[in-house]
Amino acid sequence: MSATRAADDVREMDFDPVTRVAGALSFQASVDVGGGRVLDASALATLFRGYEVILEGRDPRDAIFVSSRACGVSGGGHATASALACEMAFGIQPPPMGIVARNLMAALECLYDHPTSLFTRIGPDYSEPVVRETNPELWERALQTAAPGRGTHGFELIADIMTALTRFSGKLYTEALHRGRRAREAYVLIGGKYPHPQTLAPGGISSTIDTQDMNVMLMRVTEFFDYSKKVVAVWDDVVDFFLEAEPRFREVGAGPASFIDLGQWDDPYAYDGTFETATAWAQRRWSTPGAIVDGRLRTTDVQQVNMGVEEFVDHSFYESWTSQAPRLRSDPAGNPLSAYHPSNKETIPQPGQTDPARKYSWCTAPRWDRQPMETGAPARLWMTALARKLPHRSFMEPTGSGLRLAVPQAWLPTAELEWRAPRHWGALERNRAHAYALAQATLVAYENLVLGLDLMRRGGPDAGVFTHYKIPKGVSHGTGLWGGTRGYTSHHMTLESQVIESYQILGPSTFTMSPRDGQGNPGPCEAAVVATPLLSTANPERCIDVLRAIRSFNPSMSCATH
Amino acid sequence: MTYDPSPFGGKLRTVPYAGAVFGADYPVGLGGLGGSPDGPLNEVHVFWIAGMSCDGCSIAATGATNPSVEDLLLGRVPNLPKVILHHPVLNPGAGTELTRPMKKAVEGNLGAPYVVVLEGSVPDDQAFPTELGYFSAMGAGGFDPDSETDQPNRVTDWLWKLAPGAAAYVAIGTCATWGGIPAAAGNITGSMSLTDFLGKDYRSALGVPVVNVPGCSPVGDNFTETVAAVLLFLQNLAPLPKFDELGRPAWLFEETVHRHCPKAGYYEEGVFAEQEGDNECLVEIGCWGPVVQCNIVERGAINGMGGCMVAGGACIGCTMPGFPDKYSPFYKAPPGSFISGGLTKINGGAIRRLRRMSMKSGNREALWDSVGEVPSGWADDKGKPSAFDKTNAFFYKKLQYRGSVHQGKRNKKQPLPASRDILRQKGIDHNQGTDVLGDRVRTR
Repeated sequence: MSATRAADDVREMDFDPVTRVAGALSFQASVDVGGGRVLDASALATLFRGYEVILEGRDPRDAIFVSSRACGVSGGGHATASALACEMAFGIQPPPMGIVARNLMAALECLYDHPTSLFTRIGPDYSEPVVRETNPELWERALQTAAPGRGTHGFELIADIMTALTRFSGKLYTEALHRGRRAREAYVLIGGKYPHPQTLAPGGISSTIDTQDMNVMLMRVTEFFDYSKKVVAVWDDVVDFFLEAEPRFREVGAGPASFIDLGQWDDPYAYDGTFETATAWAQRRWSTPGAIVDGRLRTTDVQQVNMGVEEFVDHSFYESWTSQAPRLRSDPAGNPLSAYHPSNKETIPQPGQTDPARKYSWCTAPRWDRQPMETGAPARLWMTALARKLPHRSFMEPTGSGLRLAVPQAWLPTAELEWRAPRHWGALERNRAHAYALAQATLVAYENLVLGLDLMRRGGPDAGVFTHYKIPKGVSHGTGLWGGTRGYTSHHMTLESQVIESYQILGPSTFTMSPRDGQGNPGPCEAAVVATPLLSTANPERCIDVLRAIRSFNPSMSCATH
Repeated sequence: MTYDPSPFGGKLRTVPYAGAVFGADYPVGLGGLGGSPDGPLNEVHVFWIAGMSCDGCSIAATGATNPSVEDLLLGRVPNLPKVILHHPVLNPGAGTELTRPMKKAVEGNLGAPYVVVLEGSVPDDQAFPTELGYFSAMGAGGFDPDSETDQPNRVTDWLWKLAPGAAAYVAIGTCATWGGIPAAAGNITGSMSLTDFLGKDYRSALGVPVVNVPGCSPVGDNFTETVAAVLLFLQNLAPLPKFDELGRPAWLFEETVHRHCPKAGYYEEGVFAEQEGDNECLVEIGCWGPVVQCNIVERGAINGMGGCMVAGGACIGCTMPGFPDKYSPFYKAPPGSFISGGLTKINGGAIRRLRRMSMKSGNREALWDSVGEVPSGWADDKGKPSAFDKTNAFFYKKLQYRGSVHQGKRNKKQPLPASRDILRQKGIDHNQGTDVLGDRVRTR
């Protein structure tokens, strides 16, 4: 970061680029280094490619593969959301095995993404070199502290974990790279390649799934039984250590626990591709859709979630589109839609000077019920835990305040993990939630493998993976509502004469990394940065806690701006 | 020891900033570039820059295993220089900790050789003045040391400023190599490929035009292998890797993906998938593999596994300069397939039937031919060849063993094993066996 001295000890700092996040993100902040406070922060998304505009005027059969490429981190999530939008517009639904295969891909994507995020992006901020440089007293303490989870992860001391988190050379770092590859090896068996799978199709999937694919996927997924126990134990130890050593760490990246998610992993016998029945089928997903505001559950109705979304561009490099009559005044179920709803949005880019008082980001400011919302794997846990809508599943059970996960025996014995919604929400708890989300995704992958094997055993039409379609000739709309690896992913498509008339994409990091809205409310990450105290005793100017706060959101900026 | 730099159309040039001369008169090693004057290269800086990108190429690169990214970064491959990577997604420090060495390179003060890798296409940002903003930016504070601007630095400025001093410029992924989707019809950013941006005459400090490793996303190993091959060449340990007329690694991209496709055999026999999920050749559901240069089905997508058609995904030409528009709409049969596929159905239909005849014989032990039955409990296979089969086999074997030993005749003389069908000889009724599975097996 570069720093210029301003009045007293207040400095204007440019974290440009914020490294170890996916994509082009920069933060401009006013930091009172002496006082250990951040006075102001602006999140700059510094990239615009115009995917929505490029999709306009194309054949809808291009939508899946083009929109996937908006984001290399969660291309599979976008491809799936796009397939769902096509299915709604075409009036079709895939056979159960097609849905199971998609679920598997979505879960395997998590098995790649969560460890990669936890250990190559977030982990180094808690590693030996960084802790020794910023808080040497914590390093001394870590050397004296036995790791409670050593029976699971094998590290004797907290300091050993910190050493293992070191960039490139640390054992946990390199293991995450390896595990990420193992998960992707399974993924490409049915996805073809990663990122940007080549098998998603409107009406299902084009994968040819045989016993060999199922066997190899099963072997890969069972590796994650032990690995996810280990990852949870590591992050439980790291997070608890920091919070016990200095309770103010809970203020790093603090936020109001407001979340939005669309849920993912469809029930193969519930999803039917229609908007009117979406409330019912979306609630049968392995992770529940919904909205939580200030830690309290507001809805689990995916239609209500969709209806409440609006995008604002007061501080973004776009022109407003609301002078025109909205395309849709209501959704297919009759719920009214705002002129700011993505279905009604037009993408009108207008690059210009970066000025936090005016326009400063290529990210729009999406809000739900006019409030900034967090998205991501943690939102998936929160929603599923609080909603208790999860249908009976073999390995997980929401408690209303947490989520119980029974991870089967492999080399390590069966583990009964329970993620509990924390009272104080911040960077460390986000990281912990990510670790538990890995265990959750592992169990979803396993359960879908079991389901898939059963469908193959029974044969018949349910074991098919694809349904034929015809592209309708008139006007039709499709909304793809999907959770995605990194959370909320919605695609909004309007077809006219078999051509895409309008295509809008809203990704998870558009929510978290959003700039201020018209009312001046900062985006979730901007607010979390301002809430962050500078707790480094040796090198506060490095603002490591600001970076910890930003990275805990695990943003994907290419997806955010598209 | 000499080598011919002529593929690049002339002498390798002097290397600015590092102080060493690397030309036809100094063919051994890369003297002075991080190593001793006549010794090997010890370290090389790599500036990884993301333009109009989705980060998918970075993700793909971390999937590589031959070598892996960490192998390169930790200097774990013998004789390869250690790669000092400056990458926005992997770098330890933020902001100027990442951009400071890049600025030094721009100023010519890095003191070590550097390679620039671009992921993502290049927007037309240079067409408008800085005050009007950007489509793609990284780093802040301008390029002038006295600059006090707080505006983001445009990626396009980095790209042209780093170009003259770069030892090599590598474009990874289809956006950087050919423009890709950000440059597709209807785009409003004026995006283009790196080669379009730098122009036909661009040569790196070592006299190399832009190296292009395409794919959306590319195979990670294609990238790391190319990097390793070039580095081994620079160490004077391997031949100069062969690049084709578009700067692609020729050994990776000179073949069509169809030639190595596991489903190509279906094409040969004229059998095609009728819908998504079918196992046969995917051409009629929209696969462009026969006319696309790519190696993903041979190499696999990651660690030898997967690959589009291997998994049942139709090729949409994502490694090609014409991607995406020349392959759109996806999931529609390419027009050329009506002729080639139609002819193949006639030709391949005949071939397929002949092959089934050979397979019918090959699926018999010689012993079964002798006793005239197939003792398999799996199917009611009488194993009695028809007169047609016999005649066919007679002439086929004649041809097959001509000029060699007729194994068929030898097999006929082979005595039958005495303990054949032992259970029946011992009088055991195998229909009365123990019910080991019991209730666990349900009848369907």
